[in-house]
Amino acid sequence: MSRVVITAMGWITPMGHDIDAVWKKLLAGDSGISTTSIFDASTFPTTFSAEVKDFKLEDFVADTSAHQSVGRNTRFALAACSQAWKAAGLDRAKLDLDRVGIYLGSGEGSLDFDAYTAAALTGWKDGATELDSVKWAGIALERMNVTRELEQEPNMPLSHLALLTGARGPAFNCLTACAASTQAIGEATEILRRGDADIMIGGGAHSMIHPFGVTGFNRLTALSTYNEQPTKASRPFDANRGGFVLGEGAGMVILETLEHAQKRGATILAEVVGYGSTADAYRITDQHPQGEGAIAAMQAALADARLTPADIDYINAHGTGTKENDGNETNAIRQVFKDRAKQTPVSSIKSMMGHLIAAAGAVEMICCVLAIRDQILPPTINLERPDPECDLDYIPNKSRPAKVNTVLSNSFGFGGQNDTIIVRRFCA
Amino acid sequence: MRRVVVTGIGIISPLGIGAKTHWNNLLSGKIGVQRITAFDPSGFPSQIAGEAPQFKVNDFIPKSYRKAAKVMARDIELAVVAADDAFKDAGLQSKAYTETSTLEVNRFGCNIGAGLINCDLNELTAAMYTARDGNKLDLHKWGRDGMQQLTPLWLLKYLPNMLACHVTIIHGLMGPSNTITCADASSHLAIGEAFRTIQRGHADLAICGGAESKVNQMGLARQTLLGRLNDGDNASPQTAVRPFDETAAGTAIGEGGGLLVLEEYEHAKARGAKIYAELAGFGASQDVYKVTTPNPDGHSYGMAIKKALADAKVSTDRVDCMVPCGLGIASHDKAELAGLRFACGDDLQKIPLAPIKGQIGNLAAGCGVEPATAVLAMVNNTIPAAVNTRKLPAGVKLNVRTEPRDAKVDVAVTTVYSLGGQNAALVFKRV
Repeated sequence: MSRVVITAMGWITPMGHDIDAVWKKLLAGDSGISTTSIFDASTFPTTFSAEVKDFKLEDFVADTSAHQSVGRNTRFALAACSQAWKAAGLDRAKLDLDRVGIYLGSGEGSLDFDAYTAAALTGWKDGATELDSVKWAGIALERMNVTRELEQEPNMPLSHLALLTGARGPAFNCLTACAASTQAIGEATEILRRGDADIMIGGGAHSMIHPFGVTGFNRLTALSTYNEQPTKASRPFDANRGGFVLGEGAGMVILETLEHAQKRGATILAEVVGYGSTADAYRITDQHPQGEGAIAAMQAALADARLTPADIDYINAHGTGTKENDGNETNAIRQVFKDRAKQTPVSSIKSMMGHLIAAAGAVEMICCVLAIRDQILPPTINLERPDPECDLDYIPNKSRPAKVNTVLSNSFGFGGQNDTIIVRRFCA
Repeated sequence: MRRVVVTGIGIISPLGIGAKTHWNNLLSGKIGVQRITAFDPSGFPSQIAGEAPQFKVNDFIPKSYRKAAKVMARDIELAVVAADDAFKDAGLQSKAYTETSTLEVNRFGCNIGAGLINCDLNELTAAMYTARDGNKLDLHKWGRDGMQQLTPLWLLKYLPNMLACHVTIIHGLMGPSNTITCADASSHLAIGEAFRTIQRGHADLAICGGAESKVNQMGLARQTLLGRLNDGDNASPQTAVRPFDETAAGTAIGEGGGLLVLEEYEHAKARGAKIYAELAGFGASQDVYKVTTPNPDGHSYGMAIKKALADAKVSTDRVDCMVPCGLGIASHDKAELAGLRFACGDDLQKIPLAPIKGQIGNLAAGCGVEPATAVLAMVNNTIPAAVNTRKLPAGVKLNVRTEPRDAKVDVAVTTVYSLGGQNAALVFKRV
């Protein structure tokens, strides 16, 4: 079985678009959260979010002609992938492109809001119980744009990355809600281990900062509504936490078999050593109250890596800042790590850049690799009043230098999807 | 290497509910493509679809789960119905059927492909109408009051992973769970991924495949805008979808779900399961061409098939039946044939082909019905017909018949490409 290493990374985040610049801000405990500007959310229960700002695809991709009218998710994916591809020093002319694959955990693209709402409202009238499909079709077929409609399909970021890189190998998009890009990197690792590719681009991209996205999460009462102070709103593990903050962005990594990376003299940033995936099988609305699925995912990843909790130097938590998640995740960590639980530092970068949904896991894994590179752990900001339910070492408010060799990252999705991945400093 | 076999088949298709009904109707020549009844299609150029029969999802779930059924989009319902069929067929007593289930649930995975699930426009528009400003949505009104009209769980109806989530909850499955969303290729890729999960030892069983419904206004509008649909045969839906035919004039939208129970071979033997076939090979690849059109050079599509055949250690002269994608869009069919030829060479002319979309339409992420049909072809030693493939384009030689035929089927292959360029192939072998 091939060993799998990470040789390059790229991201587009609410805190910037450059690996080192964003990392510096995370270590400084900055926030990427502010009043929503993508649409007028002023009367919504939640009026803020973690938006990607000052972003132009042209700054990352010279020829954008094949990527016109794509969704925000695909634009972020292209820019993040382009960064990673360049950082890896890959040249498509020198690669066996049938052995370069892509595994993404990307979300759907951006709705054509004006055309969509106009068609729907035209097809309705007072007292109606059913849409007038004929009227609807008249407006929809006239106003909807074929490319904008196609680009909403969740496989589009994947398809565009293939055009960008020329990758013709195994190609997948998985959409397991908030766990998607951790799962994608885990499954990409399995493809490389098996020898079905030499290189896999892994990661995810998503934006749900649009009226119906915020509507959906607001109706679920999953979002923080601390509108007075957006930078204080994301409070993982704090007693006053009140929901997550919706973010957007993309994270991409270049994964290679060790053999392929060494042969081409690539810089090896870290090794992916463990991956676990489970289902809660409990409820679509709630996590398993005893964290059974989360426990099983962490245990599966540890077993896959042939490691014990004592080997883990840092846990990058899912840590959304909802009442439910942070208590359950803490409990699950306690169950898996037992007497090591309180000695193992845990943090959630969602306190600073919000929750990138399908893209969250990839961005968080990049932080894990950077923690190993720089021997420093990012903090959990806004942790001001400890919650008796959350009694671990969450690296409150200030980053911390530490000996970091092996890192575990959790991602949990709505509906009970649990994925854990473990990365380690590379040792030949 | 652990071997993986198929021990259960679950289908809901335009030909019926249940794998047996689907198969019997497929062989009897029934056509599931008809004028759309789910809504008034007369404002659209193409007014036909492969619609699944009417059903009540409550008939397919435990009584205790009926509350959760209220937040199932139709795509989810289709997956739930197909899963029920597959579990019963496999003789697996999950917690849906007994309080004393002995299934090792931590070793039971799930990978159900899904599409972009469209919102119920009646529900959403009724809410939007309360916050309208002419034919625009007033976001101030919407944020303040309008959105309150929606059920709190509204979003959860439309997350693509909810197909897998409902199935894992209903049947109590806690092993590796995934949701592939690669349009028409979702099911084949999901089955391939579940296959690998069992091979590498992370599960002993998995339910896998996919489900989708495009039989709604948005589904039809998008496919119409893309120019993929036949809009000239509304009066004769029975012969509208004509894969590989020289008169192929577009496909038809559809809906359905096809799921397989995959199981590690020794595990299946130990519990005395009936074994339909071995899943012996899987290949996946990506086109680098245009996101809307398969690459006419057929390279990547052919590579996926070659990889699957090599994985199964099967040469093309041993393939007894192939269920291809066969959309019935002339340019796409031509590109597909280039890929099939790339993979099979001259053997392509001999391999019995069974493009079944003429009878069911394009089920998109529900194309898991096609691998399920390939397995049924092996079990029954019968090659389904290409009912509407009456005359091949000049210079094209294929082994297709307009009637089903008896033949020994020891190796069955199914292939697919997606709108977006993902390609996949699966190879089934007789055990």
